[in-house]
Amino acid sequence: MHPPSGPAWAVWLETSAPAVAMRQWLWLYPSIEITHIVGFVVLVGSAFMFDLRLLGLSRALPVSAMATHLLRWARLALLLVVPSGVLMFMAHATEFAASGAFQLKLALIGLAFLNAGIFHRWPFRAVGDWDTELTAPRPARIAGVLSIALWIGVITCGRLLAYF
Amino acid sequence: MYRVFLVAVLVLLGTSPAVAHHGWSGYDASRELTLTGTIREAGYEHPHGSVRLQTADKTWIVVLAPPSRMENRGLRREMLAPGTQATVVGYPNRTDPDELRAERITISGKTTELR
Repeated sequence: MHPPSGPAWAVWLETSAPAVAMRQWLWLYPSIEITHIVGFVVLVGSAFMFDLRLLGLSRALPVSAMATHLLRWARLALLLVVPSGVLMFMAHATEFAASGAFQLKLALIGLAFLNAGIFHRWPFRAVGDWDTELTAPRPARIAGVLSIALWIGVITCGRLLAYF
Repeated sequence: MYRVFLVAVLVLLGTSPAVAHHGWSGYDASRELTLTGTIREAGYEHPHGSVRLQTADKTWIVVLAPPSRMENRGLRREMLAPGTQATVVGYPNRTDPDELRAERITISGKTTELR
């Protein structure tokens, strides 16, 4: 209805066959939305449970074991989240590309991955020293707080995309 | 740190371009309008359908409901064909003077609730 206008790459995405199918097939769009939600429930849920452990809850559970279990599911959930997110972006490429909420969402996702990367290369290297019953080192606790805050920000921006 | 982050989110959202198209305060519910005109173009599309409705004085972009809901309520794609006469009741967008979010649409005597 609003003919797509914006950067050429966004117009191209928005007029591509998958984008048209997203907008016109009756049940594709909701199915993809559901896939995205299921995916980020697992991704963010796993991350939160791990973060809470870093912050000192359930200290009897070994951090290393929780990482093996939860973070694997968080990574696998990306297989649901990313393709479904790309499809939803394509359906509204010009609008989303210009949206402050979307740009902020991408930036926050980048920061969340950066935070996880730093955590794995720094405090988590020595997890054997604080695996059970001990307070996690300050960098690990900061990583936990940042992770929770960043993912809440990502979800907030994602939801507000529909309102701004 | 957390507080700084929250403030940053609010500031950035506040400065984002306003293309509000959902409920909330985007439409002026105190100013209900009834428009009658001819459909010039129709989008039976997600996340919500819309028609370009030519009335006596101007052409409106009328936002309808998700296509799955419209189909479920018997408002099929072909009923919105260009050239069709339609009457819509709805609320105008607060910032876009050409946009109206329809609460219901009447085509050939059949009214479909959209909310």
